[in-house]
Amino acid sequence: MQRADRITGAVLLVFAVGFALGGVTHYPYWVESGPGSGFLPAWLGGVMAALALLMLIRRPRAADAEVDWMPRGAGARRLIVVLAATVFYVAALKVLGMILASALYLAFIMRYLDRHAWWLTVAIALATALGNWLLFVHWLKVPFPAGPFGF
Amino acid sequence: MGFGVALTPFNLMMAVAGVMVGMLIGALPGVGPPSGVALLLPLTFGMDPTSGIIMLAALYAGTMYGGTITSVLINTPGESASVVTCLDGYQMALQGRAGPALGIAAFGSFIAGTVGVVLLMLVSPLLARWALSFGPPETFALMLVGLTTVTLLAGDDALKGYVSMVLGLMLAMVGYDIISGDARYGFGIPEMMDGVDFLPVAIGLFGLGEVLAGAEEKGAGQVKTRFRLREVFPSAADWMSSRWAIVRGTVLGFLVGMLPGAGPTVASFLAYTVEKKVSRHPEQFGKGAIEGVASPESANNAGATAAMVPMLTLGIPGSATTAIMLGGLMMWGLRPGPMLFEKNPQFVWGLIASQYIANVMLLILSTLCIPLFVRALRIPFGILMPLIVIFCVTGAYSLKNSVWDVGQMLVFGILGYFMKKLGYSPAALVLALVLGPLAERALRQSLIISDAGVGIFFMRPISGVLMALAILAIAVPVFKWGQTLFFSNRKA
Repeated sequence: MQRADRITGAVLLVFAVGFALGGVTHYPYWVESGPGSGFLPAWLGGVMAALALLMLIRRPRAADAEVDWMPRGAGARRLIVVLAATVFYVAALKVLGMILASALYLAFIMRYLDRHAWWLTVAIALATALGNWLLFVHWLKVPFPAGPFGF
Repeated sequence: MGFGVALTPFNLMMAVAGVMVGMLIGALPGVGPPSGVALLLPLTFGMDPTSGIIMLAALYAGTMYGGTITSVLINTPGESASVVTCLDGYQMALQGRAGPALGIAAFGSFIAGTVGVVLLMLVSPLLARWALSFGPPETFALMLVGLTTVTLLAGDDALKGYVSMVLGLMLAMVGYDIISGDARYGFGIPEMMDGVDFLPVAIGLFGLGEVLAGAEEKGAGQVKTRFRLREVFPSAADWMSSRWAIVRGTVLGFLVGMLPGAGPTVASFLAYTVEKKVSRHPEQFGKGAIEGVASPESANNAGATAAMVPMLTLGIPGSATTAIMLGGLMMWGLRPGPMLFEKNPQFVWGLIASQYIANVMLLILSTLCIPLFVRALRIPFGILMPLIVIFCVTGAYSLKNSVWDVGQMLVFGILGYFMKKLGYSPAALVLALVLGPLAERALRQSLIISDAGVGIFFMRPISGVLMALAILAIAVPVFKWGQTLFFSNRKA
């Protein structure tokens, strides 16, 4: 975890400096009546930069040394597949429509994580699609993105 | 007049639904009160604000109890306020006394919740009247206290707490500036110029982030216990030994819960410690003492009710959950703060009355439906996980019917996963994001009216005291850090 903290610290430092510089160059720091719209961004960027620096220079905490935060083996593979599926799901919303994309996502994860039987997978996917439609489209009148079949 | 509002059939139904869903959410490991409130908030947009907050408040009370069920049965707290309950609750379950443990927790929660609402009713108007005299400096100082205490209590690494909090404030800078109208950090993207909405952020951090972390571990413990309704009622001996524990837990829980930043979790830990101190047989704590369940469970419910006090009267949420509720209030167009009691009395009293009702519902449902909830815990992770993600996606979408918000939710979900893994505090980030715009306006207004620069915060009595508290909250971790710097290799 110590290496992860150093990397986070470095990324935050770059981000903070950029944030503060962007703030003071694009927005006024002080206007006639008082602090302008660049005032707080500049300070926040400064404070964040200081925190990031602290993170880089501080003595590593003993408690952090043993923490193995990175998933490995099967856990890492599961995480990556689930994450990729979720990204696809969000990307497919406009193409497939909310209801269809949701049902497909559910079916995929059910098969992938637990290897549920096909009949159960299809049944729950259909129930989810119906529930989604009833609750959001029918009752709450949320205009969901529609898919190729008009729902 | 509050009961007239709360007792309409629709609002009553919302209270029941809120408690039930809340208990379910609280019972699911990894999905705590903030996730529950964030996920259900979009559902309330179609309702009128009073029904919406009634449902959310009932949900909050429900999650507080739901977390207890898993603490007792499988030694896995459903949310942070039930962590202490594991200590004695699980021991009781091992001794075959899971029923009385859950029962005393239900009755304790009911008593604490009801007393909490009475106190809420008495304290809030007084506090609101007092807060009417607050100017921008006091408001800013109060927000600073809230932000710093949340950060202080967020985790064991204070530096990461502050990083999370400042990141939240930075995100709050994105979008139109309220005073000058400048579109900050918009990068020419219209959606960015509207600012970073807190709801997709909260859903991402608390909902998706938690679920991703769970996907890696795959599934939590399964419940195998079976038990009957009759076993849920505590015996006379159980009552005798826990009555004072409930009273102490209630009072302590309310007092602690009212402090900005403290909330139900801290209340439950404190109550447990106090109970152990005053007990005549402290050696039984951790080995299945019923007081060790009764006291923290009363305290977390009283604390959850008390956390509404600063949110409603000052507009300053004390925890992630109340921060999300506050965001909800603002989305409904209400302005939380001292004026809320004068401008929207129907809303405030409806909410307070609904809290009474939620408590009664909670008692009925928690005693009658425990076997049902135990069964719900057996839903396999492979089904539960995608359902939660679908709820995250539809929830983020239905806020503004925008796929952009779903993308934003996804980004913060991934960020939430890393924050959880690396020990950062999503609660501090969300609180800062909600308070950011309000704090900035208060800060700039204060500096505009000030003749003495930042001196204005220290020269007015109320804001001076509050600033001192905030500085104290900052100084504690700095001091601890200094210690480790000079006395190396010692436990920090």
